[in-house]
Amino acid sequence: MTADATSSVTVPQPRMLGWVALALRIVLASLFVLAGVLKLLDPAAFAVEIDHYQLIPWWSCALLALFLPWLEICMGIALLTRWFSRGALAWVTALLIVFSLALSSAMLRGLSIDCGCFGRVWHSTGTFWPLLRNLVLLGMTAFLWWKPHHQ
Amino acid sequence: MKTGGQASVIFFAALALAGLTAAMHPKKPSFPNRASDPGEISLQEVQNWNEPVLWVDARPESDYEVEHIPGAVSLNPDNWSEQLPHFLDGWRPAEKAVVYCSAASCETSREIADRLRRSGVDPVYYLKGGWETWKAKR
Repeated sequence: MTADATSSVTVPQPRMLGWVALALRIVLASLFVLAGVLKLLDPAAFAVEIDHYQLIPWWSCALLALFLPWLEICMGIALLTRWFSRGALAWVTALLIVFSLALSSAMLRGLSIDCGCFGRVWHSTGTFWPLLRNLVLLGMTAFLWWKPHHQ
Repeated sequence: MKTGGQASVIFFAALALAGLTAAMHPKKPSFPNRASDPGEISLQEVQNWNEPVLWVDARPESDYEVEHIPGAVSLNPDNWSEQLPHFLDGWRPAEKAVVYCSAASCETSREIADRLRRSGVDPVYYLKGGWETWKAKR
């Protein structure tokens, strides 16, 4: 095999990975912006959704209901625009891990609650499918940590 | 800027916007205690009425058949169409109806209470803490 032939095989691969990374970045960013905006429509209802997990006192549910939607929106915008994108990716990873632990805890305690991932707009989501979705999103995040600079 | 610094910028931006939301949003959560939803009632309040109450069990029928509050009727989203006419036949106007589901985390009791209200049943409440609370305090 000649040198030209070798390069024609290897060069497109990182470019393709770059497109995959860009697509994943857009998907993650859009999901978080959407989730944040939907939660912001009714922060009081979102606080009740957090309270249903029975993990933290009410006052912290209320604080989180005000803070989390904006964190998700800021993360999403940072991921899309690539301003502070590594910081945003760190937040995405941390939140997905925390959300997955909360969902697992609810499942283990047999709580029949809604995920609350998109506020009260999408009801009857349960906990299993959101947990599975979070694990997929974590996989996408891991890919972005591995290939952060490709477009 | 390093990753930690970027994450801090995002954190403080979100914090500032959350502060604005706390000051201005018409649907901000209540501090320091959770506001009761309209129609939500505690077991203590029901017991203080000292009058007959029509209990409505909004849990799945399989749970109802295992055990339920004495005198409760089963009415849930699955049997709604079949059971509502029977329920309305047995309901006396002005009799207070209290709907319960499995636990504080379930939404079915509120949904059934809303449906009953729209069907003309009034007053109707839903039990805070649901079946778990009733069973714990029995």
